[in-house]
Amino acid sequence: MTRALRIAIPAIVIAAAVLIPFVSGPYPLAVARSVLIYMALALSWDILLRSGQISFGIAGFFGIGAYAAALAVLKTSMSPVLSILGAGLVAGVVAFLLGFVILRLRAVYFSITTLALAEIFRVIIQNGGDFTGGPEGLVLPKLIFNGEAKALYWMALATVLLACMVSMIFQRSKLRFALTAIRNNELSARSSGIHIFKYLMIAFVASSFLQGVIGGIQLQGYGFASPDSVFDSYYTLLPLAMALLGGIYSTPGPILGAILLGVAAEYLKLKIPYGHLVVYGIIIVLVILLMPQGLFGLYRKRMKARASDGERAPGAERASGAEVRHG
Amino acid sequence: MTGPSLEKDSIVTDVSRSRLRRSLLWGTLGAVVVVALLLWKPTALIYGVQRAGLYAAVAIPMALVLGIVHIVNLAHGEFMMVAAYLAYFAARLLGLDPFIALVPVAVVMAVFGLVVYLLTIKHTLKAPELNQLILTFGLGIALSQTVNLMFTSQSWKLSLNYVTASATVGDLSFGVFDFVYAGVAIILAVGLKLFLTRTRFGKAALAVGQNPRGAAIVGINVDRTYAIVFALAVGLVGAVGSVFLTKQAIFPLVGGPYTMKSFCLVAMAGVGNIVGVLFCSLALGLSESIINSIRGYAGWSNIVFFAIIIGTILVRSFRERKA
Amino acid sequence: MRKAFVGMACFMLLATFAFGQNVIKLGANWTLSDVAGMECSKAAQMAVDEINKAGGVLGKQLQLVVVDDEAKGDVGVAAIEKLATVDKVDVLLGGIASGVAVAQIPTMKKYQLVTVATGAAASASVEKALGPSPDSDFYFHLHPWDYEQGQSYADGWAAIQQKYPNVKINRIFLGYEEGAFGKSSFDASKALFGTRYTFDGASFKSALTGGSDYSAVLQAAKDFKPDLFLWAGYAADALPLLEQSKAMKFSPPIYLGAPPAWPVDMGKSPLAENVMLYGMWAPSINNISPVSKKFYDSYIAANKTAPSSYFAALSYSAVYIIADGIKRAGGTDKAKLIAALEATKYASPLGETITFTPSNIIKHQGIKNQKILQWQNGQQEVIWPFEVQSKPLVFPLPAWK
Repeated sequence: MTRALRIAIPAIVIAAAVLIPFVSGPYPLAVARSVLIYMALALSWDILLRSGQISFGIAGFFGIGAYAAALAVLKTSMSPVLSILGAGLVAGVVAFLLGFVILRLRAVYFSITTLALAEIFRVIIQNGGDFTGGPEGLVLPKLIFNGEAKALYWMALATVLLACMVSMIFQRSKLRFALTAIRNNELSARSSGIHIFKYLMIAFVASSFLQGVIGGIQLQGYGFASPDSVFDSYYTLLPLAMALLGGIYSTPGPILGAILLGVAAEYLKLKIPYGHLVVYGIIIVLVILLMPQGLFGLYRKRMKARASDGERAPGAERASGAEVRHG
Repeated sequence: MTGPSLEKDSIVTDVSRSRLRRSLLWGTLGAVVVVALLLWKPTALIYGVQRAGLYAAVAIPMALVLGIVHIVNLAHGEFMMVAAYLAYFAARLLGLDPFIALVPVAVVMAVFGLVVYLLTIKHTLKAPELNQLILTFGLGIALSQTVNLMFTSQSWKLSLNYVTASATVGDLSFGVFDFVYAGVAIILAVGLKLFLTRTRFGKAALAVGQNPRGAAIVGINVDRTYAIVFALAVGLVGAVGSVFLTKQAIFPLVGGPYTMKSFCLVAMAGVGNIVGVLFCSLALGLSESIINSIRGYAGWSNIVFFAIIIGTILVRSFRERKA
Repeated sequence: MRKAFVGMACFMLLATFAFGQNVIKLGANWTLSDVAGMECSKAAQMAVDEINKAGGVLGKQLQLVVVDDEAKGDVGVAAIEKLATVDKVDVLLGGIASGVAVAQIPTMKKYQLVTVATGAAASASVEKALGPSPDSDFYFHLHPWDYEQGQSYADGWAAIQQKYPNVKINRIFLGYEEGAFGKSSFDASKALFGTRYTFDGASFKSALTGGSDYSAVLQAAKDFKPDLFLWAGYAADALPLLEQSKAMKFSPPIYLGAPPAWPVDMGKSPLAENVMLYGMWAPSINNISPVSKKFYDSYIAANKTAPSSYFAALSYSAVYIIADGIKRAGGTDKAKLIAALEATKYASPLGETITFTPSNIIKHQGIKNQKILQWQNGQQEVIWPFEVQSKPLVFPLPAWK
């Protein structure tokens, strides 16, 4: 792909995304807002995934962010915009502190620990009595930007752009090589002089910070948070599925995956009022079976195949990540 | 090998002296806890063991799959749910008691599991483990929502008179039926341990779990092993589902929380450690029970549950680093 | 030939245009993947079909558009946006879960469409978000709030103890599920019963979220020696709680369940006999209310099964209330419709006449009373209010055999 295209295409996409509120009605905008939130979560999860760590704790930091924003507004009368930033900071600090303990874990043990942590956060908040609103949750007196649909959409879009920027920083710098090396073979990464813990921590905190911010905008955009709603495992599993279906280890991948699954969900719901979730589950199964590298992975493979006339450079293959089928 | 990996440990088989010493230590500690509970809060002990049995029974088939086929089956609870519905129909339409329907239901589920495996999971085995995770996630949704579509989300419950069996010691009356779960869990654990270490297929399966490429070189049919083990696991969780039906209400989403609990237990015990699942379930069931019995703190029992899991995982990782 | 074709096309175009004017659109949102939401949708459609067959409203046909909210706040908000801007409905109805309703309130306030709500009982979140008149005047809340339910039960038990002198209640114990539903039940009950009775409670994890053991709660209840034991949980908890109570030999004089719905086989279980329950509607009301019988028979004829909870009857009532309001208002003009709805007097399948009076915060509250029922011979019989009682009370709960 030529350099000009590489700048032009994202620019056009961003411009189109920004202009959507002017051409679409409130309903598609509401759906788009939802999709953007999942998209941002998928991007944030992918960032940590590049280090080889699979997190099942998205809902945990998302929920922390939502509650941090809610408490900031309700207890300290903080401005909503500032509370979103605060939400991210709280989530990031929690991740930083926990990271010292849990980033030594690998594979399924790390995953389960993040899952367990998310549940612990939920129960702590549920048992927080009047301070956190208990099981019934917290309600904001008013929404950010007075609930103006366009503003809420742009807020979600801004968050996605932030997540994209963070994701691209992780894709275009020393961070990328460090994380990829750690993911491929930790032993040789360490012997190459890469400080494993430092890079894992950076990825973990960045990922959690984003998830906190997203939780904050979810809270400010809908004005309600309860332990069962914001810590729902759906906020963990769906972004995972979206990132995977779209293509992991990339920035366009989670974006494509979120659009695919998010729009499909709403479309199916309208067309098949009863049973659309069955089709949804089958779609997930089929995409995994037919496109194991995800949408973007497929595109990347075709581009590489075309570029090098069928031969694949081993280095490029490893860097692009997702395991290709052998034989 | 590139790509994220969920599996780290190989199947544990060695018994060394320090391990014996450690087991003795845990054993004495366990005995002390049991006696303390019997004196202070006997109900916590009784119900803790019963609960542990249920968790272990559901988790052990998942440990089998994770240890040998190395996939996390997020549809695990949904397979159990489907089995429970089958057993329900066997009871309502054919008048079969769930304990009798257990065998046919397990066989049907094993076949069903095999079909699902051959159609879907088999083709993702060479892909990263994440793919299998999300594949089974999609499967789980499809299964639970199909059942929801066919039978609605209403709760169904059999009324069997033997589930209210109780015993009275002094002025304490308690239900004894739930010990069945503990019995099922022990049978599963011991049975699988024997199967894996004594039978030819079992030993081959263990080999495949430890080193698939090496096993293939030695001549073991890895593909067939995976398929049979997966089918076996689904059959076993199907049997558990039939027993589940006797005491619990069933509805399409009943399996979800059990999938998560099983996943946590299997990770806590260490991948591949089937007998370890029994002891971990016991620890968790007892701690849940103890916290629940303290008035006003029942809500915190969930935290204790997960804190113990995280703690065990962390302690084990510290110990590994030292070694 | 072509002229005829063009003429036909023009006619059809005009007809659709005219037909489009001749339809009153009702927009509803429920959780269709849940049985309660599905039944609401079916019952509402049944009501719409009945009204249309009888000639419609003001000569126009009713059309019902249902959008699934998937029990999620953000999807619920999108549903309202769709109904308001794409389907351009005239009136909104629906809702079951409070968590979804509270997320939808800001969007509803934006459009100010007259809304008849069939769900949402949590006053701490939903009623607070609605706020007082005039901001919430578009909202007609059919379902009673949690504190109204509690007050109703307090009145009911006082009346029952007066009519049946052998029923003496001094100590009440509540086992409640640890989520929002259980907690709000506990808070409401504590506020209303705590003054007159000795009241205590303990929480449990509902079977809906993977809990299976009620021993701690039942043991605490047993130690408390209550005259009335009640539990607030879900259908999946009903029989396991009874089974465990029997195994622990816990048989209080009154055993009462307050789930939103019961398991399908509850009536078949011998353990259900003489268990009491809170509810709003049961098939036994057919004997007292011809509206209920008509609703029930039509529902079974159309769907081959009985409704699993009272929500279907509420949804059915909502449609009739809206239709009646539009008729009296002479159209769907908002101000006139609100005034007409305020004058509603609808004889509902719930066995009571629905009117709208103020509640703590909002102005338009429909039902405030619950009913106290009892399982007898596999049927839910109404005990209180006495005007709709179908069978006398059996007291106390017989000891476990």
